Amino acid sequence: MAADREKIVQVKNLSKHFNTGRGNVVKAVDSVSFDIYKGETFGLVGESGSGKSTTGRTIIRLYEASGGEVIFNGENVHGKKNTKEMLKFNRKMQMIFQDPYASLNPRMTVADIIAEGIDIHKLAKNKSERMEKVYELLVTVGLNREHANRYPHEFSGGQRQRIGIARALAVDPEFIIADEPISALDVSIQAQVVNLMRKLQKEKGLTYLFIAHDLSMVKYISDRIGVMYNGRLVELAESDELYRNPMHPYTQSLLTAIPRPDPDYERDRKRTHYDPKKSNPHDEEVEFREVTPGHWVAFTEEQYNRFVQRKDQ
Amino acid sequence: MDKVLEVKDLEVSFFTHAGEVKAVRGVNFEVRKGETLAIVGESGSGKSVTTQSIMKLIPMPPGKFVGGSILFEGQDLVHKSDREMESIRGKEIGMIFQDPMTSLNPTMKVGRQIVEGLMKHEKISQSDAKKRAIELLDKVGIPMPDKRANQYPHEFSGGMRQRAMIAIALATKPKLLIADEPTTALDVTIQAQILELMNELQEEFGTSIIFITHDLGVVANVADRVAVMYAGQIIETGTVDEIFYNPKHPYTWGLLSSMPDLTNEEEELTAIPGSPPDLVNPPKGDAFALRSAYAMKIDFEYEPPMFQVSDTHFAKTWLLHRDAPKVEPPPIVQKRIQYFREKKQGKGEPNGSR
Repeated sequence: MAADREKIVQVKNLSKHFNTGRGNVVKAVDSVSFDIYKGETFGLVGESGSGKSTTGRTIIRLYEASGGEVIFNGENVHGKKNTKEMLKFNRKMQMIFQDPYASLNPRMTVADIIAEGIDIHKLAKNKSERMEKVYELLVTVGLNREHANRYPHEFSGGQRQRIGIARALAVDPEFIIADEPISALDVSIQAQVVNLMRKLQKEKGLTYLFIAHDLSMVKYISDRIGVMYNGRLVELAESDELYRNPMHPYTQSLLTAIPRPDPDYERDRKRTHYDPKKSNPHDEEVEFREVTPGHWVAFTEEQYNRFVQRKDQ
Repeated sequence: MDKVLEVKDLEVSFFTHAGEVKAVRGVNFEVRKGETLAIVGESGSGKSVTTQSIMKLIPMPPGKFVGGSILFEGQDLVHKSDREMESIRGKEIGMIFQDPMTSLNPTMKVGRQIVEGLMKHEKISQSDAKKRAIELLDKVGIPMPDKRANQYPHEFSGGMRQRAMIAIALATKPKLLIADEPTTALDVTIQAQILELMNELQEEFGTSIIFITHDLGVVANVADRVAVMYAGQIIETGTVDEIFYNPKHPYTWGLLSSMPDLTNEEEELTAIPGSPPDLVNPPKGDAFALRSAYAMKIDFEYEPPMFQVSDTHFAKTWLLHRDAPKVEPPPIVQKRIQYFREKKQGKGEPNGSR
């Protein structure tokens, strides 16, 4: 199924630790490994503080990794790189941010915001070609030419997020990290942005890493999903499989906590609670293993044995 | 049935440099004893302005009551003075806000903040108030309440802070609790805990709740009745079952079908095109017409009245007029209606309340 597909990103034992002073170290990301295949959308979910955003930011090297590596198109992102190599890499990997208000420079016009990458990478020969590119991008993301000379404050949240997407697309990336791109938007606008992202993916063959805490939207947009808890990946599977058959107790608790727009279901929703102390009382070593094809779970030895027994029955 | 609150033809405007922003344009609703009314809408729909008007938290100027009345247990709050409001606010009507960090005082111990409210509104000694505060913290599920009462808000996690807020709001046993997106800033598992807590406490205290949210999943969980707001007006209202399983307004259809449902496989999300209208110059006719695939000629000329669908269900759309053409709602909504019909046949009359 997935084994022969081309891997665009390989994350290997990636760690990011923050030194908070007085010898305290926060292991925001603790030895996380996963692959992202070309052309897919990989969803990363988890609660605040689970390390999902830090993972995304370390992949694109906004943070230096504390350990492990990120292989992008066969090259280590965190390896030694000179400015020129960095520039080439930055072009292929782009990011869309959560807050459409904080991520656009309020003193720049939309045209300058979008064209910043074009200028840095010298992708336009002259001024008119530059503006042509900007106009084309604006139309691609559902805005129009007249918007080019305006400033970010003149736009609504959904429109700003479209500008952020246009900026990411300006340098023809292959891989886009979208860090909670719709969390700050209204429900009716969320669907617009998600539909736009899907359309662009089809047209341009983009690969996405979609980071979010809204599991229903993640399930909708992602091919595969990784669930993070406390800096570690606890489960990874194709999205349908993950929702139908969650195996890790944390994933189960997360799935049963989502309120669904269905009053009948809500009336007798049964929530399962996750308590790391109960599911792993002796704090045993967990191993992230492939329990069924394509479905990875962080189980302790004992949990895994129990799973194998149940499966055999 | 007992009405705790009745809002009639409420109009609230803000007078700004750009002109009069008509934030609330003739809103009518009531809240009965012990029920939860959920108000749903996007940002700018007027849901927060409506509830802040009830508490009279709107800064005036630039805000102004242009018309209508807010009857709380028969007394009109619109004409109450600030002084009179002080004995209602926090005593008769409690409020929980979205962000517990900015609504708690960071320089004051949590226990002290509960005591403050109790001492203001009730004849109670300092030590008794302290005891009550600890009981309340225990009641909202904060472990080691006697210790926690002596801590500052920054020592609490987001979920714990929201629990503390609920304890403060419920300390004086208000008749009405206004919860303005109380779980939006929280993680799903914490959100689920807070919703469970609110449902439990409501049962125990019999408090009426106005719950503002944009999350339809949360609405399905907490609401007995739902009011959907758009561009400063309520465009559809009904029991929670009526709104989810038999919606009538195209905007409600849009909201329901723009949300992915975990059980639905591979269905295209139907986004609502465009963005909400400018309330300085609200559109003529139906405010939603510009974004609606179901808009008819009349929608651009005359504002539709509230059409009655059932005893409890009303919708403000010309589609319900007897001369309107029959239209098919989006597939996802049709599925809901189908489900509703089957349930109705199976169980007799659907029951809106839990």
